[in-house]
Amino acid sequence: MPVHEPGRSLMRHVGLEFVAKKVSGGGHRNTNANLSLTSMIDFLVVTVVFLLMTFSASGETPVAKGLNMPKAENVLDMMDAPMVAVVGSQILVDGSPAGNSRAVEESDRMQRIDELFNILKAKRELWKQTHPNKDFPGVVILQIDQNIKAVVVKSVFQTAAFAGFPNVSFMVDRIPHTGGSHG
Amino acid sequence: MGGVDVGGGGGKRKNLDSEINMIPMIDLLMVTISFLLITAVWTQMARINADAQVPGPPRPDVEQEKVEPEKQLHVMMQGDDKFVLVWKQGSTTVDSIDVPRKDVITQQGAVQVVRYPDLAAKIETEWKAKGQHTNPTDRKQDQAILHTDNKTEFKYIIGVIDAIYAPQRDMNFGAKTDKFPAFNITFAVN
Repeated sequence: MPVHEPGRSLMRHVGLEFVAKKVSGGGHRNTNANLSLTSMIDFLVVTVVFLLMTFSASGETPVAKGLNMPKAENVLDMMDAPMVAVVGSQILVDGSPAGNSRAVEESDRMQRIDELFNILKAKRELWKQTHPNKDFPGVVILQIDQNIKAVVVKSVFQTAAFAGFPNVSFMVDRIPHTGGSHG
Repeated sequence: MGGVDVGGGGGKRKNLDSEINMIPMIDLLMVTISFLLITAVWTQMARINADAQVPGPPRPDVEQEKVEPEKQLHVMMQGDDKFVLVWKQGSTTVDSIDVPRKDVITQQGAVQVVRYPDLAAKIETEWKAKGQHTNPTDRKQDQAILHTDNKTEFKYIIGVIDAIYAPQRDMNFGAKTDKFPAFNITFAVN
């Protein structure tokens, strides 16, 4: 049997008459629309360029799981520094456990957290060994849950300072300025 | 199919015109867009700076100059109904101002955003009147010290720090001038 090129006659054999009508125009407006290739490619190229410009190769700053970060308006840009996270009563330094804040909460007294102190001090020493001719920046970023009590915040802050990290920054979620000079 | 015409190709030379196949090109653009959209970071993390004010090691070889202590703004947030702003120079209290405490709390997902617009406005007025480091060439900031009780939750502390950071001033960095917070913040130890 010879092979025929499928043509309009094929549609007549298909039972879907409304499809045949639609495809052939059938008295209604044609459902096929012409797309200008030049405009489409222009649009795609502009989108690619925009996304490439806003792309961050360093990725998202790692935020500890289960942490509700507070939000603030008057903030500074993030920087690369060791991260100390306080989630519940657990303390993490760059994702690794670094002590517990339960003792501080129970005593309700500001105190040095020894495990955190030792880990931060070791980080400082390591930095000094790897950068022998540079001044140590002493920057640490604290990721603290919004419901953590001030006694824990101050204890972690002071522990970091004692360990040689006096420039402490609190990580927050940036929110846009609301109306007025102060919102 | 689209083509790139670079002209020429006359004589016996090989024709330099080449054609770009539109279908793989559009596929490539679509895949690139998808990749960039998927890897895009939509949350904007930022930081609020604080300084532990740790003095450097003693320098016995350097003669210490007697310097008059600077004015510092102490922000007391222990009360439920008011903040107290105290300007101190050394141990001398220069001025004390009460600011009624009005917590503006908004819920954004699981996070409660706490703001103090009245406190921010008052701190800005105070800094304009009594701030010592206002010149853009001056790299030093005025010092604010935050006093809080041990029970206060962190979100309220961030609300107050955000209010203290509201006044901003110009600061020269070489030929460039940037807006910078007027105050540097630290916590009171007691």
